Amino acid sequence: MLAELSSWRGQQYLDTGWFGVVFVLVLVAFILANIRRAKSGKDMYIRRIAGLNAIDEAIGRSTEMGRPVLMVPGLGQLNAISMQALNIFAYVARTAARFANPIRVCCGDAAVYTVAQEIIRDTYQQEGLIDRYDIDSVRFISDRQFAFAAGVSGTILREKTAACFFMGEFFAESLIFAETANSVGAIQVASSTQITQTPFFIAACDYVLIGDEFYAASAYLTRQPVLVGSLIGQDWCKLFVMASIFVGVLGTSIQMRPFSGVTVTEEKSKGNFKTIPARSMKVADAFFPQLLAPQTDPELTKIKRDPDPDAPKKAAPAGGG
Amino acid sequence: MDFFAQAAPPTFWNAPPGSGEFITKLVVSFVLGFALIFLLLKLPAQARRPIVVTVTFLAGLFYVLQWLWPQPVGREPGTLPRDGVEHVSFWIDDAVSVFGTISNVLSAFLLGLGVYSILRIHVRKLAKMQQDWLFSGVLLVSMLVMILFGFYDWHVRTFDPKAAEILLTPAGMPLPNKIFDLLFEGLLQQMDAAMFSIIAFYILSAAYRAFRIRSVEATILLATALIVMLSLMGAVEFLWNSGVNSAASNDPNSVIQNFGITNISKWIQDTFQNSSLRAIDFGIGIGALAMGLRLWLSLERGGVSS
Repeated sequence: MLAELSSWRGQQYLDTGWFGVVFVLVLVAFILANIRRAKSGKDMYIRRIAGLNAIDEAIGRSTEMGRPVLMVPGLGQLNAISMQALNIFAYVARTAARFANPIRVCCGDAAVYTVAQEIIRDTYQQEGLIDRYDIDSVRFISDRQFAFAAGVSGTILREKTAACFFMGEFFAESLIFAETANSVGAIQVASSTQITQTPFFIAACDYVLIGDEFYAASAYLTRQPVLVGSLIGQDWCKLFVMASIFVGVLGTSIQMRPFSGVTVTEEKSKGNFKTIPARSMKVADAFFPQLLAPQTDPELTKIKRDPDPDAPKKAAPAGGG
Repeated sequence: MDFFAQAAPPTFWNAPPGSGEFITKLVVSFVLGFALIFLLLKLPAQARRPIVVTVTFLAGLFYVLQWLWPQPVGREPGTLPRDGVEHVSFWIDDAVSVFGTISNVLSAFLLGLGVYSILRIHVRKLAKMQQDWLFSGVLLVSMLVMILFGFYDWHVRTFDPKAAEILLTPAGMPLPNKIFDLLFEGLLQQMDAAMFSIIAFYILSAAYRAFRIRSVEATILLATALIVMLSLMGAVEFLWNSGVNSAASNDPNSVIQNFGITNISKWIQDTFQNSSLRAIDFGIGIGALAMGLRLWLSLERGGVSS
């Protein structure tokens, strides 16, 4: 019977694995539904975010001082995080272009550098200020962590940047940047999706976008319906997650009856329930924890398939020759 | 050296080395790739968008399918799919590594642009003797020397059959390998370590600013940080916990034991720190999901860059 496992029962749907997929699909539905709502013209409210209000203040200050604005999209590769950082930097570059402020964008990844160069040049072009665009304002420094840290710190110290924006994926170099910028008296707005680096930024920078405020930035700055709708969708998702946690905690507490206790005589192991000597119920025995921890019955993976006549006798070693 | 040994076992994405099928796939890939680049270059900017949108959607669709389509259960190498559903799941399974490699190939091309950026900035600075041109000179010389000796070292390590023997000790190394060893291990690694060690001093100055008592929040932060830091000091931990233990008359089940510094520190970390970090994690995860959706479906039309 086990060999007859349907091909539609994929590895990810075995046991309670389907729950994670369904949960994420619900979140996706929330986001898309709100984008649709926003597109239909519904007015949506976004709360004030101090770190984003500080962007104009920082650029204004560097204009007064006649010193450059520095932007660093982190060490990460070209992904959603660096794209979001570049979106924010496009706004910064646009404002800086209007005030004829010099900018410096220091990149630690060649792909991010290429995209940053395109985005910043487009921004100047759209503002009709392409003559103010300096091709060397977007720079590739190094993809080696501390060489990048040294390069960016050198730029801050030599050019005495007045405003610094550190947004994206940062690691150990975050504090080097923040403290170097602080030493030249630069106003700093920072955000890192790396939770371990956020405390360093909070300690050393003037304004920090914490967690998902980083993703809220483009909606907050532009008020484009798609972005605002997406942001409201994110809030719905967070409410859904909070409700799920509440239901899970409540359900597990009720099931475990903390004041009287529950005795169990079977436990789930490798996807199957087996009888055990009576013992007190643990959290892992409750319904909700089991829902979130799918197990695979090893017997289910024993599926009989026909051998491939074209297959080589021995596979090549991993990584090739 | 067989550069195409990775072409086994055969899948839709590869073919036996040197075979007609292999050559055909190679040529078709090249032609399609260059045709796409040529087309993008020739088209006006507005007409490029549908192509970029389509390519972005298809690339994203692959990973969405990989996540949603039933993944093969217990797949063994050299077996055939049972039906149409498994045909698709096997195809996706085989294609994952190929799709991953495409981004590596693109990154390799883009690294050249990055190096060009460095050369353009520093060669100009050097040629015009602008401010700090000496640093640019040092960078260019270091880069050139590292590339030359790096390639020599790679060549010896890859192709010399006696590489393991001659590179075992510095005494037996040829001069270029010694120079590379000095540049990489003796200089670059040490400079990396020096940069990393600077962080310790920066932590001190940043902590001083963060812990200054300016508000109620800063005071709470200072108090909790102090408890956690003290709990990590062996002598303080011993003295504090010994005092609490005496007060509890050495009874491990006494309520007073909860006031041991390790217990207080653990409570702070488990109750406040972990729950806050998880909340931030949820926010970041959902934000990344929304951003990914907007990029995949090209809903972020220009975004703030428009």
